[in-house]
Amino acid sequence: MTDQDDSTRGIARPKARGPRMLIALIVFQILCSAFFVVDIIEDFAAGDAVFSHMLPELGATLGLFVGLVFEVRALLHLLRRQAVMEKSLGVAAGALGALMEDYFRQWGLTPSEADVAAFTIKGFTIAEIAAMRGSAEGTVKTHLNAIYRKAGVQGRGQLVSVLIEDLLNAPLVPAGGPVDAGTATKV
Amino acid sequence: MSVKLRVWDPLVRVFHWALVAAFAANVFVTAPGKAAHQWVGYAVAGLIALRLVWGFVGTRHARFADFMPGPDAVLGQMTDMATGRRRVHAGHSPLGAIMIFNLLLTMAGLAVSGYAMTTLMFFGVEWVEEVHEALVVWAEISVVVHVLAVVVESRRLGVNLPKSMVTGYKTLP
Repeated sequence: MTDQDDSTRGIARPKARGPRMLIALIVFQILCSAFFVVDIIEDFAAGDAVFSHMLPELGATLGLFVGLVFEVRALLHLLRRQAVMEKSLGVAAGALGALMEDYFRQWGLTPSEADVAAFTIKGFTIAEIAAMRGSAEGTVKTHLNAIYRKAGVQGRGQLVSVLIEDLLNAPLVPAGGPVDAGTATKV
Repeated sequence: MSVKLRVWDPLVRVFHWALVAAFAANVFVTAPGKAAHQWVGYAVAGLIALRLVWGFVGTRHARFADFMPGPDAVLGQMTDMATGRRRVHAGHSPLGAIMIFNLLLTMAGLAVSGYAMTTLMFFGVEWVEEVHEALVVWAEISVVVHVLAVVVESRRLGVNLPKSMVTGYKTLP
C-alpha cells in the first residue's frame, strides 16, 4: 500500500536490510521467550519447580524480554527514520534528517507529531499530510499546534528556520568559540 | 464523513466464529480422547478445508491472493505503526494475514495429529501426542496474540475490527 516508488525517480536507494535483520532477530527472540515461558509454566504445573533450577530460567527469560523491548524500540526508531528518508531528496537529506530527529527528540515530540513535523518541514500542506497519514485535517492541525508549542516557535516558517540556522551556522563559524570540538578546524 | 465498506462475506464470518467455538470447545469443554473431542476435531478439519477452497474461489477479500503478505507490505504496516500513520486496509492487513496463515496451518496440524492418534498406525505413539500438545500450546499463544493485536489495531486505526467480523462491514473514519 505504499505510494512512493523511488526507482521511478532515479534515486538509487540501497535496499533496506537493517529492519529486516532486526525483525528476524525479534521473531527469533519471541519464539525463544515463548519456549521459556511455556517451560516455566509446565514446571510449575507439574509441581517440580525447584528454586535453584527456576532462578536461572527466570533470569534468562527476563533478559530475553528486556532485550526484546530494546529491539522493538530500535526497530520503531529505524522505521521512523526510514519513513522520513524515503520522502527526502538530495545529498543533504541524511544530515538534515539526523538534525531534524535530534530536534524532535529534544522537543519530546510523539511519533505522530514527529511524522507531521517532518512532512511540514518538507513543505507539504495540512491537507496533503492528512491524506498521507489517513487522518482528519483537524488532527494534523492539533499535532502542528503541539509541535509549535514544544519547539517554541510561532509557525511553519520559524520551524524551518530553526533547522536552516543550524545548517548555516555549523560550517561557517567554527572559530567563533569552542562550542563544538568536533567541528573545530585547524587554519 | 465515514465510509462503510463491505469486506467479509458470510462464509468468512461463519468460518471464523465456528472455528472459535470449535477450538474453545476442545480446549475447555470436551475431554481429550473422547468421542465429542474427535467430532469437534473433524469439524475443524472440515472448516479448514472449506476455507482453503474459499481462499481460491471466494469473494474478493476472502481470497488468499488478496492478502498474501509480502515483506514490503509488512514493513509498510510497521512503518505506519512507528510513525502513527493511519492507513486502513480494506481486507486483511499484512501482519494480520501472517497470523491467519499461522492459525490455519496450526489448526490443520492439530486436526491431522489428532486424527493420527485415532488410527491403528499411530495409536499410543508418543511423538504424535507430543506434537498435538505442542500445537495446542502454540495455538493458544497465537490466539492470545491475535486478540491483543486486533484490540491494538482497532484502537490505532479507529476501526472496530471485531465488529466487522460480525457484521461484514468496516466503517472507515
